[in-house]
Amino acid sequence: MVKPVIAAETAAGTPVRLWDLPVRLFHWSLAVLIALLWWSHENHDMDLHITLGLITLGLVVFRLLWGLVGSSTARFAGFIKGPGAIRRYLAGLKSGTGEHVIGHNPLGALSVIALLGAVAVQVGLGLFAQDHDALNSGPLNFLVSYDTAKEASELHEAMFNVILGLIVLHLAAILYYRFIKRDNLVGPMLTGRRVFDRAVPTPRIAPLWLALVCAAVAAALAVWVNWGLPPFATPWPWDRPVQISAPADYM
Amino acid sequence: MTNSHKLALAALLLPAAGLVIAAAPHPAYKARHQNFETMGKAMKATFDEFKRPAPNLAVFKSSADILAASAVKVKGQFPKGTGPAPGIKTEALPAIWDRPADFAAAADRLVGATKGYQAAVVTGDLAGIQKAAGAVGGACKNCHDSFRKPKA
Repeated sequence: MVKPVIAAETAAGTPVRLWDLPVRLFHWSLAVLIALLWWSHENHDMDLHITLGLITLGLVVFRLLWGLVGSSTARFAGFIKGPGAIRRYLAGLKSGTGEHVIGHNPLGALSVIALLGAVAVQVGLGLFAQDHDALNSGPLNFLVSYDTAKEASELHEAMFNVILGLIVLHLAAILYYRFIKRDNLVGPMLTGRRVFDRAVPTPRIAPLWLALVCAAVAAALAVWVNWGLPPFATPWPWDRPVQISAPADYM
Repeated sequence: MTNSHKLALAALLLPAAGLVIAAAPHPAYKARHQNFETMGKAMKATFDEFKRPAPNLAVFKSSADILAASAVKVKGQFPKGTGPAPGIKTEALPAIWDRPADFAAAADRLVGATKGYQAAVVTGDLAGIQKAAGAVGGACKNCHDSFRKPKA
């Protein structure tokens, strides 16, 4: 889809609204949630772990929606680039001639996809995982066999190490930009604003009401998943039977 | 997949290649593993059934019977000398043999809970069955908390 060129520019030295509030809230919520998810599992508090996992599911769904309809710097179509662009960006990084990208750079885009994808896979596995005591299995565990669920549980455990690796990479990149490239990435992720040394096209910020609509859709989806995807495989919570009718001489 | 991902994956898979199975471990290891897996499957069958539009009493009955039959075996499936040892894959903790009376009590609690589940099935009351099956899960957890190696 070809977009009209954005006419609005922000002059050099003037703060640009780079990251909108939903992107920043998403980012820091995810960081806190991953820590809490690890902690709740360490503490064997599986009720909390599953609740946090469902919140994470909602968060991931929200980010996917926001990547389609959100602000220009949040949209996947805006920052996901091919190998050619990544190579050019890397060459610019090496020679020091590359310009600061407005938003995610082509290399950082890979990091976004990898982290978001890994968390999505992790949440997906958790939905089917099962607990040793059968008390705290994932909300979709009942849809798969015992062996499939066991497999999902083991992958769920292994996947955490992949996520840890990606987080280490993410933090290393932040330190590299901070100390080698003299570029502070954390500040703008907190304030949403950053100053460029040249005039740049002003990012188009999506309205907050749209973010609220996306958040509502994502939350509803997470609740529906928690209920076990009614009415397909299981009834709505308010339609559950309370008594099983059986012949009196059944036993 | 980036190179770093391949590296991370390789790092994950390497330890698995290092696992060596020792020659002829005591048969108790396998027997109890299978017994616990049988119980795990019966528990899953139970909790899956609660989600169905029309739960089938026969599933609860057969699950309760399987659990009751397996539960009575647990106490005798941990003979001395079948604890953790080099080259053996087990999640049994030494506490089983260090505190035999506590372990026996935990196993008895499971036997009692499975009997309670069998008794609840007769009533056909779903809430009662759910509560009784939950008590079986509670007995599983009670024993796992003290006598099974926690997942790292």
